[in-house]
Amino acid sequence: MIPVSIQMRQALGKLVLPLLVLLSIGIIIGGQADRKLADKARMTVADGLAPLWGLMTAAQNRAQAISSSLREAGRMASENARLQKENDNLRRWYDVAVSLTRENDTLKTALHWIPEPTPAFVTGRVVADSGGIYARAVLLVAGTDSGVRVGNVALAANGLAGRVTETGARSARILLITDIASRLPVMLDASHATAIMGGDNTPLPRLMYYAQDTRPIEGERVVTSDQAGAFPAGLPIGTVHYLHPGQPVVVPFAQLDHLTMLRVFDFGQALIDPPEAPGHVPLAHPRQTLTLPLKTLLGQG
Amino acid sequence: MMPDPSMSAWEPEIRPRQTVWQRLDHGARRLLPSLFIALIIIFFSAPLNIPGAAELLPALVIATVFFWSFWRPTGMSGVAVFLLGLFMDLVGFTPLGVSAFILLLVHGVAFYSRFGLMRLNFLLVWGVFALVAAAACLLQWGLACLFRLSMLDIAPALFEALLTIGVYPPLSALFSWILHRLDEKEDI
Repeated sequence: MIPVSIQMRQALGKLVLPLLVLLSIGIIIGGQADRKLADKARMTVADGLAPLWGLMTAAQNRAQAISSSLREAGRMASENARLQKENDNLRRWYDVAVSLTRENDTLKTALHWIPEPTPAFVTGRVVADSGGIYARAVLLVAGTDSGVRVGNVALAANGLAGRVTETGARSARILLITDIASRLPVMLDASHATAIMGGDNTPLPRLMYYAQDTRPIEGERVVTSDQAGAFPAGLPIGTVHYLHPGQPVVVPFAQLDHLTMLRVFDFGQALIDPPEAPGHVPLAHPRQTLTLPLKTLLGQG
Repeated sequence: MMPDPSMSAWEPEIRPRQTVWQRLDHGARRLLPSLFIALIIIFFSAPLNIPGAAELLPALVIATVFFWSFWRPTGMSGVAVFLLGLFMDLVGFTPLGVSAFILLLVHGVAFYSRFGLMRLNFLLVWGVFALVAAAACLLQWGLACLFRLSMLDIAPALFEALLTIGVYPPLSALFSWILHRLDEKEDI
């Protein structure tokens, strides 16, 4: 330190600020004049500070990760509580189901219930239908070789999809329930009332011919009915929905617009042959040839 | 006894020689505001995605420089202000020297008007600071316009000025508390 007098020091002290202002103005002008140098200086400083910034970013990321995992833990705790409650509820339902099954078994035993045959089924991949007389039909890669017969029932993962109308050796055409040619007898699950579900080439087939005193209720389940003998009773189809007042439609459970796999069930409905009743003129069975009733009549005569 | 060639011998008042520890202590006290600003500059220039960081950094720096130049010029000398401004320019994207220039002007205003300002109460000081801050932000905007040779949007500059004015009371409370603590220690 150079020894200077107090007056000199005070004078120098007063000069420092103006000098610095002038220096900064000089730097402004210099920086504008030589941008490359300014950028170089900037980059040198940034390079020096880069590890520090990296450290801060890492700390921030860590803090964010910790806070998010804490939030996640809180969410998981609430989810866990919810699941436990649901589990308790389900356990109760399990007990109810077990007791109901037992009761059902006892009742069936008491009634000498004849068990229904387990239906045979084959599963095939759906390929797009390129031809045919139907607007809403799909082609299944499974045919008579695999045991598929005309009139078999095709089920998607969670609901009825359609019926087999034509069969080849290795393929079968399935008429979907949305086709305009499709008319199915159905049953409304809540009221056990019957109706006809008719397709109209839209995704939502209409409900027709239901009894006026048991109208379909919004959200009601619709299942198949065994009225005409074409389907076994109780296959799930969909739920009732009102597009407009007085125009109920069925929202199918099966996603009919993009089917990938279909199970084709042979419920053996065709084998159910009503025993002969003398004096009773049977109506024409839909899938029995007309010769049969004639034969019966002839037999009678 | 030999004449002491160190700086303390040339101080106006006569004081006992400081020990190393005392010197470190004094140095730390003097450097505290500058270190605070340097840390703030580094913190806000890091890519942390803080909303409004570009406006908040000058606001904090201007408020800090004003407060310390006003209350403790020993803690915020002109050289320190100049270096901090230059550092801010180098780290940020302002033209080189602009922040140093503006901060020096703020420092100068606070430093030369301190004896007048000290008699006023806080609200009036805040009003003066508001004028200084607005002038500083407008000056920054004007210089930016000058370098680009086109009129830039004035809204960010006004936002920065408002932010600067708004950030002063909490910062001033914090620094007053720090000053109080430092003075308490000085007395012991």
